[in-house]
Amino acid sequence: MFTKEVIDMIILGIGQTLYMVVLSTLFGYVLGLPWGIALAVTNKEGIRPNAPFYRVMDFITNIMRSIPFLILLILIIPLTKLIVGKSYGSTATIVPLVISAAPFIARMVESSLMEVDPGVIEAAESMGADAFTIITKVLLVEARVSLLVGVTICFGTILGYSAMAGAVGGGGLGDIAIRYGYHRYQADIMIVTVILLVILQQIFQYAGMFLSNRIDRRRV
Amino acid sequence: MNYMVEVQGLRKVFRTRDSEVEALSDINLQVERGDIYGIIGMSGAGKSTLVRCLNYLEVPTEGRVLIEGQDLRDLSPRDLRRLRSNIGMIFQGFNLLMQKSVIDNICFPLLIQGMKKDQAVQRARELLKTVDLSEKERAFPAQLSGGQKQRVAIARALASKPGILLCDEATSALDPQTTASILALLKKINEETGITIIIITHQMSVVREICNRVAIIEKGHLVENGTVEEVFTHPKSKAARRMVIEGRDPDELADEETDFGKNSPAAQQGQDSVFGKEMDLLHEKRRIRIVYTKNSSFEPVIGNMVLRFGIPVNILRADTKDVAGVARGDMILGLPDDVQVQENMIQYLLDRGLAVEDV
Repeated sequence: MFTKEVIDMIILGIGQTLYMVVLSTLFGYVLGLPWGIALAVTNKEGIRPNAPFYRVMDFITNIMRSIPFLILLILIIPLTKLIVGKSYGSTATIVPLVISAAPFIARMVESSLMEVDPGVIEAAESMGADAFTIITKVLLVEARVSLLVGVTICFGTILGYSAMAGAVGGGGLGDIAIRYGYHRYQADIMIVTVILLVILQQIFQYAGMFLSNRIDRRRV
Repeated sequence: MNYMVEVQGLRKVFRTRDSEVEALSDINLQVERGDIYGIIGMSGAGKSTLVRCLNYLEVPTEGRVLIEGQDLRDLSPRDLRRLRSNIGMIFQGFNLLMQKSVIDNICFPLLIQGMKKDQAVQRARELLKTVDLSEKERAFPAQLSGGQKQRVAIARALASKPGILLCDEATSALDPQTTASILALLKKINEETGITIIIITHQMSVVREICNRVAIIEKGHLVENGTVEEVFTHPKSKAARRMVIEGRDPDELADEETDFGKNSPAAQQGQDSVFGKEMDLLHEKRRIRIVYTKNSSFEPVIGNMVLRFGIPVNILRADTKDVAGVARGDMILGLPDDVQVQENMIQYLLDRGLAVEDV
């Protein structure tokens, strides 16, 4: 059953999954981090409240988060083709993964930054810090533990989505599970891929929590 | 010469969706260079808002705030930020960066102003010596006690050599012993650098300990101000009399608000009796308050007086302490019924340099 071919395929699947998830998380943060900062800063409790701007951003964020991933995957095929040149395969899957992860990441970042003690922000303002300094030297630094926990959660969520992308030829472990396990009734291969996904999830969860505890200076 | 800090006709209104709250109304005060100026009032009196108006963390609705003659209204945001680096501030909750070490916290304001890292570290080390925490340079705030955190906050506030230090309930989260050490530190810094300190507090003891001038804020109004000596010896407003004569912190008055507050502050400045229920139980009809002043002589005054007249007096309250061998503070005495004896006793006390008033 587990011939060399199957094993090679599974190893390739692990590689593809990691490739999709890591790059999607990265690009997701490229979009989601500034987006989340913009939300936190213009929030009515933020350092530069701006109700009209916040309301628009807030609405867009909600809309984008509401679209089911599988629908989004198909909906943005033209965009994917424009960026990657084709609509299937691991690289093409990164586009919808990033677009669905970014608003989620923005919300995580917003909530992490809103947790920062307003007193500390006030202290920075009393020292003459401008908004940019407060964002880069106070908000992002003081919220770093919460932000890292956010990265861990986003990583797990994107891992789950990437498996879903297998349904439309996205590659990776999810793709294998669907093709062999679902279409060919090869339950053993399906079980192995699912176990591998669980292990990946565990590793990243553990690593994320370990790191965030390590960098937290609030612990004595 | 300009005042270090001057507030003219300041009014602050907070608008919520369906109501307006007047937090401060017609506040006028002047703080001179080198003053340790206490602003005392109960919580909700508006004193925290007032101190935030002094560096425009809160922008007044009306009126002006002048720092060394400079009207803050006229400043661009950029100039305002620059001016803020000349006004240090410490807080009840310390407000340190929890993810940064002690030394990095103190360097923070310096780096904001564009100082080079190694210069900033050098300056921070000097400050750590001043606040007596050199050995904690590499520690993180979570590893420090409340008093140590406040020392770090003081070092941070002083980093850019400000001319003014604002203290917003800086000792309210600390135990009495730590409070005393922080106040002693502030006093020392004031004496060594001539920095002007403005202290917001609800504790009369803090004002008496280190302030030279005091303003009493009640319901958003400034009801009395002057030197601590003056206000302590001859309190005029009702709020001041309660604080000084009954020795209560303003917070303790909160449950007696009904007969208070609805009147205008001017109406509250009566000479009417301010005694609470406990005092009424005592039978002496003539009660006086005596205040030990700088001129008070070095002797057990009350003891000698009783021996001299051969008639006991009732000490209804005493709050004195020994400062360099001389008694300071005040006492309330219930005098004997004989009017002639009363007058003689009062004269006896006046002769010994005590301030005496009927209460």
